[in-house]
Amino acid sequence: MGLNRDGVNTQDIFEAQDMGYSGGHKGIEMGGGGPTFLTTKIDFVVNWARKNSLWPMPFGTACCAIEMMASAASNFDLARFGMERMSFSPRQADVLICAGRVPYKLAPVLRRTYDQMMQPKWVVSMGACASSGGVFDTYSMVQGIDTIVPVDVYVPGCPPRPEGLIYGLMMIQEKIREETLADHSELRSEDPDRAGLPEAGDEDISALSGPFGNSTQQEYLTGLAQTKRPDRPKDLLP
Amino acid sequence: MAENNTIDALKNVFSESILHHEINAGDQCVVFVSPSQNTEILSWLREEPTQSYDLLVDVTAVDFGEGLPLQVVYQLWSLKHKNSLRIKCELEIENLTIKTVTSIWKSADWLEREVYDLFGVEFIGHPDLRRILMPKTYDEGHPLRKDFPLRGRFSRAEQTRRALSQDYHDYYTEEMLEIGGEPAVSSPKYDTDKGNAS
Repeated sequence: MGLNRDGVNTQDIFEAQDMGYSGGHKGIEMGGGGPTFLTTKIDFVVNWARKNSLWPMPFGTACCAIEMMASAASNFDLARFGMERMSFSPRQADVLICAGRVPYKLAPVLRRTYDQMMQPKWVVSMGACASSGGVFDTYSMVQGIDTIVPVDVYVPGCPPRPEGLIYGLMMIQEKIREETLADHSELRSEDPDRAGLPEAGDEDISALSGPFGNSTQQEYLTGLAQTKRPDRPKDLLP
Repeated sequence: MAENNTIDALKNVFSESILHHEINAGDQCVVFVSPSQNTEILSWLREEPTQSYDLLVDVTAVDFGEGLPLQVVYQLWSLKHKNSLRIKCELEIENLTIKTVTSIWKSADWLEREVYDLFGVEFIGHPDLRRILMPKTYDEGHPLRKDFPLRGRFSRAEQTRRALSQDYHDYYTEEMLEIGGEPAVSSPKYDTDKGNAS
């Protein structure tokens, strides 16, 4: 936790930004392209530091936020997992926890908050409403925040219990643990021109948010969202 | 609850304009009045010492659909006599205009803006009649009307694009922005013509 997390990856971020999004993913050449003793050890240290000092940015808009607060309180104690400090500024946050329903009027705020967060950053969509619009299939509701921002982990439930949120955040930790600096530029590339624009295209939004869209479009969704089930190897530590 | 003498008094003073009345939910007096006389009746109800309905609890509206008239509802409460009264004005769906009551109760300002926003009732003489809940740039109509489709008139993609192209200028008047001063960091004006992600 004391490691200089930002210092380790600053150069990579700058290189990724220099290359630009449109220029394609060149990848950062480290150790002749393959993983070496040096890079794997750096990966290990960097990922260990990152996953144990995630600072959540709470974006709580509804009852899910109550469960999120309960997760941070002493009974469940999110601080055990390194999420010691709820960062109420997006500039110092690593994980955006969108807890609750998001109306269209709030959509630019969510997108701006995401755009303002520093790399590396992750997004948790907590609850049915944030993930799919939930029961609010109406004129004013965003049908899943994945149309607005890229989402890493969806936590189902209405609202999910604190255990559910903690499990979702631990999945983020495992995702971090599997990252390598070699594909850093691909993971972290962002197009500045895309700031403030919808994350999904027109067809995707229509398919996701048709009547009962997220329930009936499962096959489409599977192809759309490139999720990978995290392997759960025995050595969860450190 | 004390016996409510309001209906008889109203009939004595505004004989023609009081259309009919009913008792709802046990003791709630509901009086249907002529919409053209709404400010006269409501200001009398407030000023008359024997009535003194000095608290405007709510202004709302009911749309029954099927071409039935839309009801504008004024819910009143008398702090002095501890009486409640509900005044209803029925408006034809083709002509949703009614006089404002902001000169009688200041609190009617935002309540009438809400009714205008969600039902499209135009309050004549309102000092600041603009949307209050939906975005200023909302172009799909008035969502609580019965003829409004549940999911809105535009596609979800169009709604998302429009939502993300909102700007703070859509929410604040120039005077408000002058009071607040210029933002420390100017916000990028989102360009809606840039297309979508692929």
